[in-house]
Amino acid sequence: MDIERRLIRNLDIPLIATTLALVAFGLVAVYSATYSLSPADPFVFVRRQLVWALVGIAGAAGILLTDYRQWGRLARLIYLITLAILAAVPLFAPNIQGASRWLVIGPVQLQPAEFAKLAVIVTLARRLSLGPIERPADLVGPLLHVALPMALIVLQPDLGTSLIFVVILFGMLYVAGTPVKYLLVLGATGIAVFLVAAFVSSQGWVPIFKEYQLRRLFIFLNPYQDRTGDGWNVIQSMIAIGSGGFFGKGLFAGSQTQLAFLPARHTDFIFSVIAEELGFLGAFCLLCLYLLLLVRGIRLVAYAKDTFGVLIITGVVSMLFGHILINVGMTLGVMPVTGLPLPFASVGGTSLVSNLLGVGMILNVHMRRHKILF
Amino acid sequence: MQRFSSMLIRRRIALVFLMAALFSALLILRLSYLQIVQADRLASLALEQRLRPVPLLAQRGVIYDRNMNILAASMSFEAAYAIPVEVENPEEAAQKLAPILKRPVEEIENRLKRPRAVEWLKLRLTPEEADAVRRLDLPGIGIQERPLRFYPNGTLAAQLIGFAGIDNQGLEGLERQFDEYLKGQNGMIVQERDATGRTIPAGIERRIEPTDGFDLVLTIDKVIQHIAEREIEKGVLEANADWGLFLGVNPKTGEILAVAQYPTFDPNEYASYPADTWRNKAFTDYFEPGSTFKMVTAAAALETGVATLDSVYVDPVTLHIGGGRVSCWRAGGHGRQTFVEAMQNSCNPVFAMLADQMTGPTFHKFLTAFGFGSRSGIEFPGESPGAIPKPNDRILRWANVGFGQGIGATALQMVMAASAIANGGELLKPYVVKEIRAPDGTVVHRQAPEVVRRAVSPKTAEELRGILRSVVQNGSGRQAEVPGYDVAGKTGTAQIASPQGGYLQGPKSNMASFLAFAPYDDPVFAGIVMLYRVGQEPSYGGLWAAPVFGRIVSEVLEYMGVPRRDAQDRVDDGLVRVPNVINLDVHDAEEILLAHGLTPQAELSHGFIVDQTPPPGARVAPGTRVILTFYEEAHAHDVHVEVPDVLGRSMKDAAMTLARAGLRIQIEGTGFAVEQSPQPGTILHEGDVVTVRFAPPQSARQD
Repeated sequence: MDIERRLIRNLDIPLIATTLALVAFGLVAVYSATYSLSPADPFVFVRRQLVWALVGIAGAAGILLTDYRQWGRLARLIYLITLAILAAVPLFAPNIQGASRWLVIGPVQLQPAEFAKLAVIVTLARRLSLGPIERPADLVGPLLHVALPMALIVLQPDLGTSLIFVVILFGMLYVAGTPVKYLLVLGATGIAVFLVAAFVSSQGWVPIFKEYQLRRLFIFLNPYQDRTGDGWNVIQSMIAIGSGGFFGKGLFAGSQTQLAFLPARHTDFIFSVIAEELGFLGAFCLLCLYLLLLVRGIRLVAYAKDTFGVLIITGVVSMLFGHILINVGMTLGVMPVTGLPLPFASVGGTSLVSNLLGVGMILNVHMRRHKILF
Repeated sequence: MQRFSSMLIRRRIALVFLMAALFSALLILRLSYLQIVQADRLASLALEQRLRPVPLLAQRGVIYDRNMNILAASMSFEAAYAIPVEVENPEEAAQKLAPILKRPVEEIENRLKRPRAVEWLKLRLTPEEADAVRRLDLPGIGIQERPLRFYPNGTLAAQLIGFAGIDNQGLEGLERQFDEYLKGQNGMIVQERDATGRTIPAGIERRIEPTDGFDLVLTIDKVIQHIAEREIEKGVLEANADWGLFLGVNPKTGEILAVAQYPTFDPNEYASYPADTWRNKAFTDYFEPGSTFKMVTAAAALETGVATLDSVYVDPVTLHIGGGRVSCWRAGGHGRQTFVEAMQNSCNPVFAMLADQMTGPTFHKFLTAFGFGSRSGIEFPGESPGAIPKPNDRILRWANVGFGQGIGATALQMVMAASAIANGGELLKPYVVKEIRAPDGTVVHRQAPEVVRRAVSPKTAEELRGILRSVVQNGSGRQAEVPGYDVAGKTGTAQIASPQGGYLQGPKSNMASFLAFAPYDDPVFAGIVMLYRVGQEPSYGGLWAAPVFGRIVSEVLEYMGVPRRDAQDRVDDGLVRVPNVINLDVHDAEEILLAHGLTPQAELSHGFIVDQTPPPGARVAPGTRVILTFYEEAHAHDVHVEVPDVLGRSMKDAAMTLARAGLRIQIEGTGFAVEQSPQPGTILHEGDVVTVRFAPPQSARQD
């Protein structure tokens, strides 16, 4: 097993270390945010999250056993299965707080959209690696490729995750060498389409977006216009973060967190918990860890031996970057409230597993960076 | 396969790298803005959210009568409350609470589930109920003391005192007027709470103590008030009137002694009475006074010389004046009559002529001097100024004013005008609050008698007193005559203006009134009886209002210790009037009681009497036992006492105060204490004598 040993030597230790550090950081934050939710068993959330982390790590290890180039051949199959599952979600998923995002299989709830992101990254990488985009017509294929699953997710409705698809699309198109002017036109068109959709929805003509979605999307511009309603989350988050100050209030001692002023503290607003309890110092360290993860990922792109690999890494990095930027920006009151989880930290098994699988995909590409010489 | 330029990809990857770094930097910038620049502001916002103040209610001040009887007080009572978020099992809790609170289970369960910080389950629990709830010891259920305004005498002086609402806010009457003094300052407990309203065990707790309200000491005398209320009720029922009122004052000081009104209300349950009964009509409503106003016309006529005691008039029966007519109420008129007889007969044409002779501007001056047309300044919400004609108004209008029509006056204005005549011609400012006391008992404000202006000369006042006495002796006011007390007054049977214009016609269209004072040569009590819309015929004031005044004044003067003329202690009914022995040595007291045919009962053989039962003035069967109460009986001789301050007090007040301190009083003069010797604060032996000089209010002011 010479090859295997060589491959294992090629594992990128900094990326693995950063990832594991983030998972650990996340587990501590989850404990702090949840121990008072179930006094009988303060570890219930942490334990569950830890199990998911192990599942994710095992999954990533499993991914390493395959050669990523094999995935390209299965692209069409992966894509069709993904579409089928996403289409099935509305039929089988129970309605939880107005949205049907979760498939319940026995004791576990899965969020297919999380895995759909990875599937789209792989399949889009495959499609883009077949040839460069030189004419506007070349864009149609990739656009439709992303638009189909994205539309299904918008319908769940899950605006945040569909926004991540846009980030992934642009990141991968850009690195794939698409002329910048195409991207600008595409971006402008996308924004225009969104605004028209928002307008017709707000007028009640075509129900593309629900009214609350639009309100929440724009509330960050002035949360005080509805301080006890839609603005509450953002205001409480900013109060929690700001009152943490430079050194924080101490782990497990954040008054806004522990006294339940901070809503969704273990999921969407886990960053606020960290920033309140560990202060600027802790939050800064966390952001640096994320930056390290992203930078390491981007750095590894350069070593990839083929375009397919380059684009897979780009896709995963784009996905993580989109999540971090939008989630942290939301807690800081500079991004829309979309309900996107913070990678490796927010409670949520599917999200954790898919992010770990994403890292596994990067490692896989990087591990097999050397052309076979013999 | 080299269709992708690896140089392009590398450049682009570098750019992605920069983008990631740039956005991360922006997030960190924003983070540092919130956590460093805005940290203090947001931290105080966070604290503000967690601190929710719980008020500590101040005790509202007590309202006393002039003898320190409690008229209104705040009591604490216990109330059961729930903090719904802390209630663990609402169904079970409701099952247990329902039988104790005597409320339906469903109602309590619903209350326990309400999304409120605090839900009051039941106010005013009995101690047993409160204990039972405490014993249950249910999570989220508690007992708290809450203040409740309580009026121990029920309807007594209800319109004057008014009432305070559930949140300790004065709503009507003196409770409203003096709310700023009475209400005090609420304190609070500030406690840290979480988002659901639960207190944080180790949180910050700060306590700001409440400041209790100030007490009011009124000029009202509970006994006189009670007499007045009993009699006005009787008067209204006898006369079948819609309502009636009595207002009594001390004509020498302007102190209001009683304001009675019937129908009345109980301020403890004010909401279950019609709001019309809440209003203190004696101060806030004005009426056409009718003939009682002739008192003022006569005073002006005597003062200006338009009339003298010896003036003689021939009743024109119908007087044609200013394009109108004034007719005598008596068919055929009164014929030839003197000024005094015209008053006794209450002859309208004569008084119309007098008003006309004085002319509007002159008469207007007297009206103003007697306080008509302006507020007296009594400290009471909604006092009416009444309404008087302009000086140059039509001749007929002024002629009507001469006998009390075409003018609006409040009962208070009428009584103060009569008081001016009673006290020698000075209009006094009426007042109802004697003292305002801080919670520690120190007097922060003391109202002294205040002369507004001289209305008429002492000579005019004296002449008029004689005339008014004759009205009761020989004229329309005979029914107010009381054995032993010389009542002077004037009757009135006023037409009531109709809302449609003109006057009410038919039955129940008159107001019977009687304005008077007594004793006529040295009046100590002045008052008015008003019975609105008398339902008996004839509806004369002399027939219905005068007897009410007679009954009140007889009892009040006796209570005040005014000796009856020809001091007959044994009256015809065989009863004995109990003499006043308060502040006397026990030997003297026993001697006096025995001389009156009464049996003294004293437990000690030496010391001073501070109280007696029955009270002075009560009429009892001969041989009745009179129980004497002592001050600090045991140490009558070698105890040192501090001389109290009695300046400004009435004679009785001063005597009582000194007696309580164990000192004897030597009285000089009459009126209010203006000088005392030794000075307040001096240390004396118990039983020593303090000399107090009294003077009427006028000279008290000069001092």
